Amino acid sequence: MHRFAARIGSAFAILVLLATTVVRADTVSYAFGRSSLAFSHLVQTAGGTAVGINDPALRSLLKSLGASLTWHAGDRDVLIATSSPEVVSFAVGDPHYSVGALTAQAAFAPYVSGTEVFVPFDDLMRALGIAPQRDGKTGVLERLITAVDVQGFGLQAVLVARGAGVLRPRIVSDTSERVVYTFDGVGTTLAPTRTINAGGIRTMEITSSGTARDPQTTIELDLAPNTRHDALQAGSGEFEVAFGGNGSAPPLVEPLAAAVPPETASAQVNAAPAPPAEIVAQGGSPSPAVEPSASPSAAAGASVTGVNVQANADGSQTVSIAVTGNAAYEWHRLRAPDNRFWIDITGAQLLNGPQDQAQGNPLISMRVRQTDAQTVRVALSLVGDNELAVSPSATGITINVGTTTVADAPRSGQGTIGAVLSTNEPQTLVTPVPPDEYGAGSEDENNWKFGGAHNGYAPANPKLIVLDPGHGGSDRGASRADLQEGVLNLDLAKRVRALLIARGWQVQLTRDTDVDVFAANDSAHDELQARDNIANQAGARLFVSIHCNSYINSGPSGTTVYYSKPSDVSLAQIMDHDLAMGGLDTKDDGIVKSHLYVTLHANMPAVLIETAFLSNPSDYAKLTSPDWRQKVAEAIANGIDQYAQQNPVAGSAQ
Amino acid sequence: VKAGRVFLLLVLLAVAGGGAWLLLRPHPAPVAGEHLTVYYTKIDGSELGAWDVSLRPQQTGESNAEHLHDAVVYAAVQSVAGPPGDVAAVRFPAGTHVRSASVEGTTATVDLSREVGSGNGGSFQETGEFKGLVYTLTGIATINAVQITIEGRTVETLPGGHLELDAPLRRSDW
Repeated sequence: MHRFAARIGSAFAILVLLATTVVRADTVSYAFGRSSLAFSHLVQTAGGTAVGINDPALRSLLKSLGASLTWHAGDRDVLIATSSPEVVSFAVGDPHYSVGALTAQAAFAPYVSGTEVFVPFDDLMRALGIAPQRDGKTGVLERLITAVDVQGFGLQAVLVARGAGVLRPRIVSDTSERVVYTFDGVGTTLAPTRTINAGGIRTMEITSSGTARDPQTTIELDLAPNTRHDALQAGSGEFEVAFGGNGSAPPLVEPLAAAVPPETASAQVNAAPAPPAEIVAQGGSPSPAVEPSASPSAAAGASVTGVNVQANADGSQTVSIAVTGNAAYEWHRLRAPDNRFWIDITGAQLLNGPQDQAQGNPLISMRVRQTDAQTVRVALSLVGDNELAVSPSATGITINVGTTTVADAPRSGQGTIGAVLSTNEPQTLVTPVPPDEYGAGSEDENNWKFGGAHNGYAPANPKLIVLDPGHGGSDRGASRADLQEGVLNLDLAKRVRALLIARGWQVQLTRDTDVDVFAANDSAHDELQARDNIANQAGARLFVSIHCNSYINSGPSGTTVYYSKPSDVSLAQIMDHDLAMGGLDTKDDGIVKSHLYVTLHANMPAVLIETAFLSNPSDYAKLTSPDWRQKVAEAIANGIDQYAQQNPVAGSAQ
Repeated sequence: VKAGRVFLLLVLLAVAGGGAWLLLRPHPAPVAGEHLTVYYTKIDGSELGAWDVSLRPQQTGESNAEHLHDAVVYAAVQSVAGPPGDVAAVRFPAGTHVRSASVEGTTATVDLSREVGSGNGGSFQETGEFKGLVYTLTGIATINAVQITIEGRTVETLPGGHLELDAPLRRSDW
């Protein structure tokens, strides 16, 4: 009897097992645009629908989205590199999953059954920008526009729509005050209206219509009169348009000035291999120097002529970015598991259009874009937290991605590329120019100090340095006891002025008494813009704002150089070095990027120097010393001289 | 006797079936909220520190917009409050608090109380405090930028300040 019952029980258990695995496996046909995808590796669990990562329909779907899926058996991770580029990652046994930097909660944890890995179907679809709907054995996968972002850049703006699959709209209406884009086959759940007021875009209205099977999203933009708009790219995962200027303004983006008609737009334009560019790495004195170009067009900016990836024998990969002309770059990388890296090359144009490349290991994918009128971005998706080195090369920028991972790798860096020294000019000699000869003679044009353009900015008066004593007048700045920051800043600026004039520079202070620059009791905007206007309208070579720092307690101390723009970086680094070596005996707090008004709105390389902390007793004692302030002034003047020496500009604008 | 055997068989089948179900049923995921990283600027003035907080899961009947709004408010409050007092962080002036927060498109607007302007600080404090806040909020999916307002009004800078605040701030600003 017991043996009989045990047999029956075992048979029942096997039946239950089969029922939970085999019987629950479904084949569901999903409509996806005009195609149909029959998923055969779907399993119903109590937590929801799971899909096997080897399901042919899933692979087909990912391929159509420009995404690739990899299974890392060692880490038990499923990684999906999308075209965004954004990595979606699931881990077996973990109910959390990541989409880029964001961690989200899945309906259930991925699991392994036999040789197949199953992940939550609905969560995976949402991570890819797809809304799944199912009714029994059929369903619909609706592509979505998941984000529409407008990024302002002064008088210009770039609209970026992101979503699943190829985003290539029809231009339904295109007048001087209204443009309407319609994306067929794509839905959205985004908020319907927004006020923009940037780059000539007044408002934006997003509407979704149609059905889940045949959706449609319309973006309607109300524009200021004569606002130009040029399509930057339309393709997988992204659609970008630049706005700004007016009918009489030059094209927003010269190489891409013609709007790309939707029917012919292509995001898959491959960059042709670039010829070697005639540039040398900055800072390498043994390197062969070349004559800076006197061509106005070359001086006005750089070009990215191609981006190539090469596999090396040791398994590493090298990304070579070919750049002609002078440009600054800044790179960042995120922490694992979001292993993205990007480098922005500022003052550069992408000549051969957007580029997307799927790679392998350690570089999963690469993406090249013109992200705004002045910036080219190369974005990489890496397998892990790989060792990575960025360096200027003879032809542009080289990025080496190694096979080993580094637990605490640097997360950012910056540099410049371009011609730095003229072969027929002194490299270290400072040649003062008598004040009464400013702008008078052609001899100056060959002098390194008063040369032409750098980083795309051509100073109308390359001999002029504008010094900005921070605060003053109705704005007292920070204070301690009887010391007012505005007064200290003016004292420091006057000391720097005297030194620079003695060395042959023209110098203008934004204020030389304790007053507001714009008007008494003016607004912050008017006051700070007035200081920038002095330098911008005069076409000054450099803008240096001088301040004293402060905090709510006495802890922080030291000297800091703040900057905002990529073109400020070199000046900030040199200034920080000279201040650190100037015998100030303050803590070197280095250079810090920030969104400071005066450095941001100065057309030329600009820095804001916080010389020391009024709120720190030791720093305060130094600030009260005229001798110490003179040392600061000498360090600042040295920094200006050294920057000019290391960053000559070809020809004279005068 | 036959009836007894049948009964015993049914009991055994029930036990076996129940055991198999207990063993093989899918285990639902524990209900935990999404995780959010709250950033602060270390007292060196440039490096970021961070800690993780849990957001409650989206509730039944709660719209995506409502859930996002709550997440933004929570993130802003956490960021402005800063890390525990023994952590050396660049902090907002005492009394600064989040009056409200809203989301329009990909921009979060955070309205701060007037105490934020009472710091009498330099670039150090402004850079540090807003860097942490912007990094925190842009860690939320779909939030790309943060507009700061003070007592309901857009300001150009803090009083006597340095940072430009009349346009949305982004991670790339630091």
